[in-house]
Amino acid sequence: MQDLLKPDLGVLALTILNFALLVFLLAKFAWKPIIGALEKREEQVRTDKETAEKARTEAVQLKQELDEKLAHISQEATRKMAEAVQMGEAQKEQLLTAAKGQAELFLSQAREQIAAEKTKAISDIQSQIAQLSILAASRVIEQQLNEKEASRVVEQVLQEVKNK
Amino acid sequence: MNIEKILSHHILDHDLGIMFGGFRLPITVHSVTIFCVSLFLFIALVWISRAHKNRTGRLLTTLAEEYVSFIRDGIVIPNMGQEGHGFLPYFCTLFVFILSINLAGMFPNMKTATSNISVTGALALCSGILIVYSGLKFHGLIGFIKGFVPSGTPVWLVPLVFPLEIVSTIIKVCVLAIRLFANMLSGHMVLICLLLMVFIIGQMHWAAGVGSVLPIMALEFLMTCLELLVAFLQAYVFTLLTAIFAGAVIHTH
Repeated sequence: MQDLLKPDLGVLALTILNFALLVFLLAKFAWKPIIGALEKREEQVRTDKETAEKARTEAVQLKQELDEKLAHISQEATRKMAEAVQMGEAQKEQLLTAAKGQAELFLSQAREQIAAEKTKAISDIQSQIAQLSILAASRVIEQQLNEKEASRVVEQVLQEVKNK
Repeated sequence: MNIEKILSHHILDHDLGIMFGGFRLPITVHSVTIFCVSLFLFIALVWISRAHKNRTGRLLTTLAEEYVSFIRDGIVIPNMGQEGHGFLPYFCTLFVFILSINLAGMFPNMKTATSNISVTGALALCSGILIVYSGLKFHGLIGFIKGFVPSGTPVWLVPLVFPLEIVSTIIKVCVLAIRLFANMLSGHMVLICLLLMVFIIGQMHWAAGVGSVLPIMALEFLMTCLELLVAFLQAYVFTLLTAIFAGAVIHTH
């Protein structure tokens, strides 16, 4: 057991040689291709990540632009609607004013016409009354009727006037 | 029962006695184990590193890439910075080499060569050379020597601090060897001692010996699991400490 801590220089040298050779051979034939493949894969992942990040940024930017456009369109639509309502209100007021004016015009024309018709009717009545009076008087005179007869004739004439 | 003899037989290295031109060649059981492990690692890793079309091959290649990624991002870069990138093949080999030798003892007719101070000493010496090389590479000879004196040290303390720092670096490297050696040796000693307990108890009374088999086998199983964990842990610790020491030399005070 005393040999446990006694180094064997031959084994030590052989181990160093063995290990150094293994490091050299593995570095050349194994680790180099593995590290190369690993770095290539990492580069690929990095590129993909960058592309995805770029695409994401572009998508966010596009969304922002679309949102802005949508907001603008919405604002424009609201404004146009307000304008249309305002315009409609103005047209309504205009139409109402025009209709009122027209109605008043028609009303005044009708009133004037009624007044004229009334005047004309009164004039006609007066003229007819006069004619009838003349007619009655002429008949009274023509027939020389008594008072009773005369009253009857006047009544008759008045009745005729009423009927007309 | 000579326990010391049994322990020596199972733990100590055995010279195979091969001579060449009158000189003894250092061909021992541990050397052969190391050679076999190295050969296996070389063949296996070279095969894995090739581009494969079948599913198993691709899976192994991906595992190897993940392993390299673990060594790079978990050990080398955090301790040595980007300067350590060039040493990545060394650290990849170091971890897998120590781990394979640690685990080799689990296979029949093979031994855990890392329970030999000459083997761990050789590995620590390689790491020491790497530490010195990285210091010389990044700071030059003068810068490397200056690195042994922490900045801000009073001039009158330099003659004291300088040798202390050199001794400290040497001790660090020695401790690497001793830690790995002691951990792997102690694990095996515990396993063998547990097995021997069956025979020791059996010498007292045969029935007690038979009765102790099952509990001791259960303990053996637990200790083997612990040994597996220690095998991974010590490989990791050795690699990590080498990276830390090399990083300390590259990024001086």
